[in-house]
Amino acid sequence: MTFIIHFLFFLYSFMIISSYIILGIISVFETVEYMKKNKFVNYNKILSSNISPSISIIAPAYNESLNIIENVRSLLSSHYANYDVIIVNDGSKDDSLEKLILAYSLIPVDFLINEQIPTQPLRNGIYKSTNPAFEKLIVVDKENGGKADALNMGLNISTNKYVACIDVDCLLIEDALLKLVKPFLETTDRDVIAAGGVIRIANSCVIKQGKLLDVNLPEKMLEKGQILEYLRAFLLGRMAWSRLNGLLVISGAFGLFDKKIAIEVGGYDTNTVGEDMEIIVRMRRYMEEKKLKYKVAYIPDPLCWTEAPDNYKIFISQRNRWTRGTIETLRKHRKIGFNRKYSSMGTLSYPYWFLFERMAPIVEVLGVIYFSYLIFHNQVRWDYTIAFILLAYLFTVLFSIAAIISEELTYHQYKKKGTGFKMIMIAFLEPFVIHPFILYAAIVGNKDYYFNKKKKWGAMTRKGMAKA
Amino acid sequence: MLDYNYFIENFEKSPLIIQVVWAFIMTIIFFIIIITIYLKYLRSFLRANEKLKNKIEKEYETLVINYLYAGDETDKISSEQQSIIEQLKSNIFETFRRNILISTLLKLSYEISGEMAESLHRLYIQTGLLDYSLSKLKSRKWNIIADGIRELTLFHVKEVQEQVKIHINHPKTEVRSAMQLYLVNLFHFEGLDFLNNITTPISEWDQIQLLEVLQLHTNQRVTSINLWLKSSNESVVFFALKLAKIYNQYGVKDELIALLDHKNIKIRIEVIHLLSYLNIIDVKTILKNKFKELTLEEQIAFFEMMENLYEMTDKPFVMEHILNTNFEIKFSALKILRNLNIEEFNRFKNLTVEPEFVRIVKYIESN
Repeated sequence: MTFIIHFLFFLYSFMIISSYIILGIISVFETVEYMKKNKFVNYNKILSSNISPSISIIAPAYNESLNIIENVRSLLSSHYANYDVIIVNDGSKDDSLEKLILAYSLIPVDFLINEQIPTQPLRNGIYKSTNPAFEKLIVVDKENGGKADALNMGLNISTNKYVACIDVDCLLIEDALLKLVKPFLETTDRDVIAAGGVIRIANSCVIKQGKLLDVNLPEKMLEKGQILEYLRAFLLGRMAWSRLNGLLVISGAFGLFDKKIAIEVGGYDTNTVGEDMEIIVRMRRYMEEKKLKYKVAYIPDPLCWTEAPDNYKIFISQRNRWTRGTIETLRKHRKIGFNRKYSSMGTLSYPYWFLFERMAPIVEVLGVIYFSYLIFHNQVRWDYTIAFILLAYLFTVLFSIAAIISEELTYHQYKKKGTGFKMIMIAFLEPFVIHPFILYAAIVGNKDYYFNKKKKWGAMTRKGMAKA
Repeated sequence: MLDYNYFIENFEKSPLIIQVVWAFIMTIIFFIIIITIYLKYLRSFLRANEKLKNKIEKEYETLVINYLYAGDETDKISSEQQSIIEQLKSNIFETFRRNILISTLLKLSYEISGEMAESLHRLYIQTGLLDYSLSKLKSRKWNIIADGIRELTLFHVKEVQEQVKIHINHPKTEVRSAMQLYLVNLFHFEGLDFLNNITTPISEWDQIQLLEVLQLHTNQRVTSINLWLKSSNESVVFFALKLAKIYNQYGVKDELIALLDHKNIKIRIEVIHLLSYLNIIDVKTILKNKFKELTLEEQIAFFEMMENLYEMTDKPFVMEHILNTNFEIKFSALKILRNLNIEEFNRFKNLTVEPEFVRIVKYIESN
């Protein structure tokens, strides 16, 4: 029996490490290919083109009064020619709407909504600006229904071909829309149904009038740890999944969708806290069941900068929600899992997510419990223990440093002297100062999912990004 | 020393799996040390490289500007210009410096025109950069070929079009795209001849780029697009439809009507939109007669067309659809009805209490 338990733990560790190595290698190839392809692309020519496809940016806002004016200004400063911005005020209890009305000279307008997806009703209605400078802006004031419901309202209102769903506090780089729409336009052998880009952490960065002026590494270990975590996930993980056409998630912070498909599948699910992952899985499932050739694209450019939690309470709440979202989505679409009918999604992506994302914290906790049992019964083989723990730790460090190298060779965003050393230090420290909290949040997330069904979104207190 | 021996002895006595794990640990430690050192070197290199690049860029910019102003009225190269050419020539053997020189020339080419632009073009040839660009066309690597074509495009080297055209059906999109942009940038509408022979798809992205280039040359004669509308390459048909719209090609009416039976639904929808844009009213009867055979998307496109091209005779047809289950068709039908005959609209506006119908009526009445 002991042998079987040991063997299972060993097999699991072996599989997870092997999958990371394989994904890392694939991502290197994919990134190199991407850099070669896009080295000389002249984005300016298409940025200003009136024949470029139309895009709606949908940004739900709930009690965002503190930064809403700045955030909307940032969204309006895109260099893309053919787009509009739909701000969905999701029943905010603060003065977000009043501030927007004042700052952008908004007036109520008559607007006929094609209610293709059911949502909470409008509250004060729909507003547009009297100032031609803000003609791209549409503000929708509706009853509170959550982020997914607000995004669905945006989908109903948009008249454009593509929709960019984004967190209102995100800072988009000026050509973000164009870079993200490119995969939709350049793919000829299949339909691109969604695309995502790298999300970067803006804590401590200098921002002026909605533009990123200076990239800095934050001081707090928690923030620095998240930077490294994002680099690993986006540059080494998702890049590889993109190559395998196996992406199951496009970050809710910024993603571009084919509106027609998003509406055909029924929009965002309002009964999950992981609506960003769920909609991608549902869109993919829809395409697979219709036997249509499709792709979920991903690009490694840093297109969107966002504020990450800077204290452990909010961080744990966020990771708790991510865990519940993953469980909900995987449970809802369990039919896909290990099912050859769903091609790579069923045989590769779903099993990976189930085994190494959904089950990982549980396996880890079981490992800790089993180890405690062995200590209690004085059955620990310390030569094994030390060797395996050290191997796991060093592998994590190596993988993190590989992510840093990948960042340096591609986008080299953290240019300041001394940052490299700090990043290496984070790679060594992160398993001790961040990972235990991620594990704790995941376990609480599991508990909340099964025993506290009423729990929805945790609060995310905005501090606002550093301004010049 | 004793500790070391103790460790070795223990290691040798360990089970094989532990020995393997320790071997992995030592390998990973080795890799961590190596890539940490590499990271340090890489960051320093990138910083130094950026500084050096800025410095060289400034140097080249000064030299090129001096070259441009050192010319006399004649086409002959002055001695000062010759010395600058020699100076630049001696620098282009290194790829790093050559790339900086090319990017400097390109940067300046965007800012100047007329004689100076020609002078810059001459400099590109005299420094030998043209030979480098041409040699790239023979490379086995697709990205190098694309790079070479791009350089030839930006420096307007028309003489090598046959060498560039070889890549018309290159397996890599980027090479094909570079070739298409070369032809259209340098030969405008005439450059579009490649559409007759291309068998690979032209992406939407490339089509937009080509159209943007074409629109820069307003005084050009628009090539006949009839053949492209009949192309077996669907992307060529899409591109021709875009050309027809931008350049108001009323003359291709028959070809467009024929495309209403194309097997690709996206083409059929695009054609309906285009016919509407071009105000080709005759097509209404054709589409009305086969309305029930159309897909929902085509029906919606047709009603959008009707919103622009309605006539009194359309009233019975429109009336049939004011209770259509589709929101867009219902909206268009009611809107057209109101525009055709407000009394009739008022008579039918209370036909049903279905919320969607009521909302549409209210909206139409208040707008």
